[in-house]
Amino acid sequence: MTRNSILQIILALLAGFGLGLAYSWLLSPVTYVDANPSLLRTDFKDQYRVVIAASYAANQDLTRARARLNLLGDSDPVAELSAQAQRMLASGEPFDTVRPLARLATDLQQGFASEPFTSTPIPAFNTPSAPQTTPTAPSEFEVSEEPTSTPPPTVFFEQTQLIPSSQETATPRPTFTPTSGPGSPFALVGQETICDPGMSAVMQFILMDGRRNQVPGVEIIVTWNQGEDRFFTGFKPELGNGYADFVMEANTVYNIRIVTGGAFVADIRTPICTDPNGAEYIGGVLLTFQQP
Amino acid sequence: MTSKSIIAIIASLALGAALGLIYGWVIEPVEFTDVTPDLLREDYRIDFVLMTAEAYQNDFDSEAAARRLALLGSAAPESYVVSALEYANLNAFTQAEISALQTLLTAMQTYQPEADLIP
Repeated sequence: MTRNSILQIILALLAGFGLGLAYSWLLSPVTYVDANPSLLRTDFKDQYRVVIAASYAANQDLTRARARLNLLGDSDPVAELSAQAQRMLASGEPFDTVRPLARLATDLQQGFASEPFTSTPIPAFNTPSAPQTTPTAPSEFEVSEEPTSTPPPTVFFEQTQLIPSSQETATPRPTFTPTSGPGSPFALVGQETICDPGMSAVMQFILMDGRRNQVPGVEIIVTWNQGEDRFFTGFKPELGNGYADFVMEANTVYNIRIVTGGAFVADIRTPICTDPNGAEYIGGVLLTFQQP
Repeated sequence: MTSKSIIAIIASLALGAALGLIYGWVIEPVEFTDVTPDLLREDYRIDFVLMTAEAYQNDFDSEAAARRLALLGSAAPESYVVSALEYANLNAFTQAEISALQTLLTAMQTYQPEADLIP
């Protein structure tokens, strides 16, 4: 075989390889039909998280919610939830939509469900004797029953369940509620100047219930002469469930209103701090609110 | 050019093409990173429907449930719930999960989008 022939064979080999590659990458690429959630487009991942959080709000199954979030392949699911919650708030989504995300982020951070699982008056579609309040009860693993049998037509809306549930809340249960009621007023119990160059001009909030547990999801309104900002506690669970912050501007007076309970604090402004060299810089403020 | 050489060139071309296909389909296939939910594997899609059902038990928001199910494709929302119920019955889902799916199915069967209500 001549040298020329060898060259022709190599060229033919390369040409064939190129054609094969073009066919497999461009004309007929591998098509995914069994994708996993980590491959979802970013906006669909956001939707997926919203549904996970909404599901968690219903069943309070933190293990399952964590497993579902892991499917999305986020390196830090808690940070991702918090970031998404803030993005949604910034885009004007109602807080009721965002709240489950914040709640899930908080609960993942602390490792347990912060709200006790409360039964909802779900109409038992055709299994009136099925347990409605404890979806993880071991007895429910018995799936041999035929769920579509014996549908009694009048048991769809057992409104009488509403009455006992409201009565239960009126019954004294001193050790059951981890947080104060949403309507309990917050009072300012601490106002500190933070002289830390890293927290310059940052107004920090910590909101606690009567047992000094931090409370997420509390709306705070900051107003000043040129505008207003609204935000919620709990969107930075790494800093605390009842934490929120706001960046101030120098020479501006701020008024604070805690929406829940109506606490009002006026005349907050950036403090002046001095570093060890005698140079002045703008400090931060830490406001601590607590329910009675 | 001899016939032997022509055969060798054609064989080389075919071998190269085969190698190219193997490389493009097996070794380094096109990687999809921005897929839509309708391409999810069946168990993930079912879990998505189940999550929607669980959320519906909490908020009774048919509109939101239908919107969530619409992410799975353009078919009628109840069709996804029916598939999920079949899957649930075959795969030993808990009674509570089946009940949630049935509740969602009822809601989706009676759900009418707001646009249809506008005269």
